[in-house]
Amino acid sequence: MTRRALVLVGLLVAGCASTGQVSLGEVREFADASARLGGYAELSRRYRDTYERELPYLSPQAERVARDTDARRRAVFDDFVAIQKTLVLYMQTLSLLAGDGRYELSGRVDDLGSGLKAMTDSGLKQRHVAAYTGMARLLTRVIASRYQNRSVDTMVRDGNADVQTLIDAMIVLTRIYEKANENEQKTVLGLFNAEIPMANRNADRMLVTLARVHLQNKTAEYRLIDRRYKLAQQGLTKVALGHQKMRENMDKLRSEETRHMLAGYVHDLNLIRDALSGE
Amino acid sequence: MATFSHSNPAPAADADITPTSTGLLQPAGSALPNQASTPDTIVTAVAPDTPPATQHADATGPDADGVARANALSNMEHVVDLADSVVCIADDLHERILQEIASYNGRTMPDAQKALLRALTDDELLLRQYAHALYANATTFVIHDLAQPQHRLMALTAEAAEKIRRIGVIGEVTGLVGGILLLVGSIARGQFSQVGAALEKIQLHNAALKTLKPSSPTKT
Repeated sequence: MTRRALVLVGLLVAGCASTGQVSLGEVREFADASARLGGYAELSRRYRDTYERELPYLSPQAERVARDTDARRRAVFDDFVAIQKTLVLYMQTLSLLAGDGRYELSGRVDDLGSGLKAMTDSGLKQRHVAAYTGMARLLTRVIASRYQNRSVDTMVRDGNADVQTLIDAMIVLTRIYEKANENEQKTVLGLFNAEIPMANRNADRMLVTLARVHLQNKTAEYRLIDRRYKLAQQGLTKVALGHQKMRENMDKLRSEETRHMLAGYVHDLNLIRDALSGE
Repeated sequence: MATFSHSNPAPAADADITPTSTGLLQPAGSALPNQASTPDTIVTAVAPDTPPATQHADATGPDADGVARANALSNMEHVVDLADSVVCIADDLHERILQEIASYNGRTMPDAQKALLRALTDDELLLRQYAHALYANATTFVIHDLAQPQHRLMALTAEAAEKIRRIGVIGEVTGLVGGILLLVGSIARGQFSQVGAALEKIQLHNAALKTLKPSSPTKT
């Protein structure tokens, strides 16, 4: 969590070096594609809402445990989303530095600030919160000053470690979402798998038929959602790799080779985004 | 759908909301001839003497952020592993229930047997909820220093899963599952003082079950 503060530090340090604005098409496209990559936020919401979906299938005792877990999922949801917001803001800022004038980021800094209150509940130390808030205030000033004398390379260099950390956290969370989803699936489908074969009296026929239809629908639903966890993880991995490569090729960002490589990541990210929005 | 009768099969008709696992932890009545009542008596004799595992390390503020983060991450991974193994036990239990149902091969199952299987299905659901709780814990990094109990736990849960696979008479499963429920329940709720007693309980069940020969070969 403290890394978020460090991202902001990175931005500020970037502000101290001055090489003027540049136009780097591929960097901008990569940053745009990274900022637009879907999946994580939606899967975070799905994870948050696990209880509602499971509720009809739970025994009273299981429901009591589930209700408690539900409260805890909801308590940290904003923080999970705040991680992503930070990354998106970073990528949009990077895009801006690379010559894109479309983003207006001034209002977004308030978002970052408001994410902090909940974080104290998720084990964040008070001094981290203070540091983060201070940085957010400074970043506001940086953005308000219209990014004079910022450069892409200083930002990528100083931000890379934190970008990697944030993305790593998002991937870890997405994996846990995936596991929870699998457990949910077994909760929902498992009941039918046991009950349907036990209901073999004539009087059960209609009920069994309805149960089979329900089981069929639910199975299809989970098959669709399963893919999304993998896609989201692949997308995040691409973003992390692409940023890492930019960092490694800092001195030759304008070379044909680097631009070609970045274009490859953009292509992959767009494919993943299409796959995520397709279903 | 979810209000099945529980481990007392006799008055099965009413929606009896007795918690399943506590029901299963007690000797579960005459309808289950092979119910593992022996291990339970052993447990009540021994469990109170076991020293409570007071692993509740009060978060000693780590000096460096890096260390704190590394600890949090490794703790998180441990908790995820633990949740995974709870899911595995639930999976094995589910598999065992389905095997039992399949063994009737279309013949009508006695009501008492149905009641037992439903009680076990409820236990499976509860195990899955505890796994959920652990996943939630993992995401919030709220579990402090649990490394030691976790290691012992991982070994034990693996062993318990193996038992569930191999047990011949389905009734024998119930006592073991009850112990596991108690254990992961206390971990998931952060009641670490109960962990020691629960571990002991599972150990005793495992030991007792070792001496019970499966009365019929399991279909694997």
